[in-house]
Amino acid sequence: MKLAPASIPYRAFQKTASLGITLVFIASIGAGVRLGSPTFLLLVGGILVATVIYEIAYYKRFEYELTDDTFDIRSGVFSRREREIPYGRIQNVDISRNVVQRLVGLSAVNIETAGGGSTEAVMQYVSPLEATRLQQDIRRHKRGESTEHRTGAETDSEQSERHDDEELLFEIAPSELALAGVLSFDPRVPGLILAVFTGSIPFISPIIPVDAPPLVLIVIFAVLLAGGIVLAWIVGAISAVVNYWGFRLTRSEDELRYERGLLQRYSGTIPFDKIQAMTIKDNPLKRRAGYATLAVETAGYAPGQASGRGSEAAVPIASRTRVEALADEIAPYEPPTFTQPPKRIRRRYLARYLIALGVLTAVLYGLATWVVTTWSVPWYLPLLAVVVTPIAAHYKWLHRGYSLGENHLITRNGFWSRETKLVAYYRIQTVIDSRTIFQRRWSVATVIADTAGSLSLLGTDAAAVDIDQQDAQELREELTERLRVALADRRRARSGGFEWLSEDDGEPPAEMAAEQPLDRTTPDETVPDQAVDEQASTDPDESQTVDEQSSTSSDSDAENNDQKQTDQDDSPDSKR
Amino acid sequence: MNTLHPRIRIVWIFRAVILGAIVGAIGVGLSTVFAVSPILPVAFAVFVVILGVIHAILRYRNWRYVVGEDAIYLERGVLTEVRTEVPLVRIQHVDSRRSAFERLVGLASTVVYTAGSRGADVTIPGLTPENADGLRTTLKQLVIDTDGEDAV
Repeated sequence: MKLAPASIPYRAFQKTASLGITLVFIASIGAGVRLGSPTFLLLVGGILVATVIYEIAYYKRFEYELTDDTFDIRSGVFSRREREIPYGRIQNVDISRNVVQRLVGLSAVNIETAGGGSTEAVMQYVSPLEATRLQQDIRRHKRGESTEHRTGAETDSEQSERHDDEELLFEIAPSELALAGVLSFDPRVPGLILAVFTGSIPFISPIIPVDAPPLVLIVIFAVLLAGGIVLAWIVGAISAVVNYWGFRLTRSEDELRYERGLLQRYSGTIPFDKIQAMTIKDNPLKRRAGYATLAVETAGYAPGQASGRGSEAAVPIASRTRVEALADEIAPYEPPTFTQPPKRIRRRYLARYLIALGVLTAVLYGLATWVVTTWSVPWYLPLLAVVVTPIAAHYKWLHRGYSLGENHLITRNGFWSRETKLVAYYRIQTVIDSRTIFQRRWSVATVIADTAGSLSLLGTDAAAVDIDQQDAQELREELTERLRVALADRRRARSGGFEWLSEDDGEPPAEMAAEQPLDRTTPDETVPDQAVDEQASTDPDESQTVDEQSSTSSDSDAENNDQKQTDQDDSPDSKR
Repeated sequence: MNTLHPRIRIVWIFRAVILGAIVGAIGVGLSTVFAVSPILPVAFAVFVVILGVIHAILRYRNWRYVVGEDAIYLERGVLTEVRTEVPLVRIQHVDSRRSAFERLVGLASTVVYTAGSRGADVTIPGLTPENADGLRTTLKQLVIDTDGEDAV
């Protein structure tokens, strides 16, 4: 298969446009190049022709193919690259289209795998129809169904069928979108403005009366600062609205699908068995209004994560009940009953806040005494905050807690921005119990359940902070035990399905052996019985595994559910 | 519970001395540039070395590890005590490595990797090369036995 032919002019245009801007910039700063000179025009023309030729070659040499068990890409003009990506390794498939791409009918497809800091396969560009076909076919292949003999006509009917089996989980309401805009404040923007501002001081300084009284200077500064904040807020609001325009989250039987974006349209899939953790976030404003944010973490590199926007499948804002219902739908969990840290720890938080305030006051006092002597700095202002520190300390304590559910560890932290994290026991990687020198004074400890989630890189693992040392030790042992039991259950549920496969593998290099499981980990509680039953009864291929189910159906309900799901998912593996 | 090889203290103390030397060199350099007495930076460097030596000794005392039936358990840390439990099923791969310092005193480390975001944290230093290789082989065997199907 080839890319869309329209991608040649589009890519050429894309490349030359940035080049053109650079050239104009170089010419404008007067590097001795005149825009109209024949040599310059010749150079530009030459580059243009070279780019077009390169893009034609790129198009000619880019081939992809969906084979039975791998997605193959052969690409590269000068250095060739041939890749075979096993379907089981694919974490998610994302489609994005910006305004221009939508006008000319192109889509970019990004295929993500676990590990690695970047997208595994970038396909620029295919037609929108082909993009959705790829997304569906990869999904289908992952489940082990064959798609080879399908014709174009069938694609359409299957497409409508696909929409039938998709269940709408979440659709952003206009009010929620507006709220998401209002509540989003991008802290990076003031920094950017500051950078631009300091660069433009030579232009602005003549306007500012230098010999003005300090009060005027302060007012000007305050106005500029306020303006910056308002601007940042407006920019944040616009970008949130543009990003989450028409946000939809749907589920089919084994994956989540999201769609969003006004100018650039994103859509992607997240298989349930790749979900590592979920986070529900709120702050006092959202809590008061009864709203919250939901993020879903996978082990793969999520696009846009580098820019700090977090996981793509995040629900920017929705009423708390909706968010909780949605989380429950993705991974059923029982309402948590949080175990809180000991009450004495509030004194520690109080002391911490007081020390912080003390340091701030001291710094301001130092400023007022030695640096700024012309006017009085209100250095005592932070001391007013002393009144609220007990409240802050209390809430910090109140929000902290952990809960051991049947299948999940749930932790909650944060005094202002409160984060509730859900981690399934079988997703825990390591359990870490740490005590700093200060924590030891209060005889408390922190227990962290580390997962392979990509957001964890930012240090937001599920953590039970400041719990009693005795509890910490018990929790650590309990978590390891529950992880062991959960894994054993999952393995038992799966046994017979493909046990022989792992023996067949012999002794691959350690890394490979450990990587193998990725594609065999299966969702358990994420899919309700109903969907599984439907699947089992409609799919003739499943008859052989259905027998196995009935033989072990004496297990508990939850396990039974697990059983069906895993069998159904694994049967293709064993057939291969 | 296993302790580390006592010679690991030499490695850590050596590191502290080097750090102290660097700090001292920078300090003395600065003091010559600003034409002040170099006593203060030298004293500071000595202080750094003393702290480093105490830290190294305490660190050695607090280090414990044990390879259990289905998990590796490690206990370590001076200012922050950390206890890590690494289930064997979660191990992605195991390295044994020897830095230049370690080679000087005839020691080696074993590094256990998991898919977790803090995975590379699990390093067991201060093993004899034979022990490090032995540990790696034992872990490999245990990992294969526990059937690492669920590593991620």
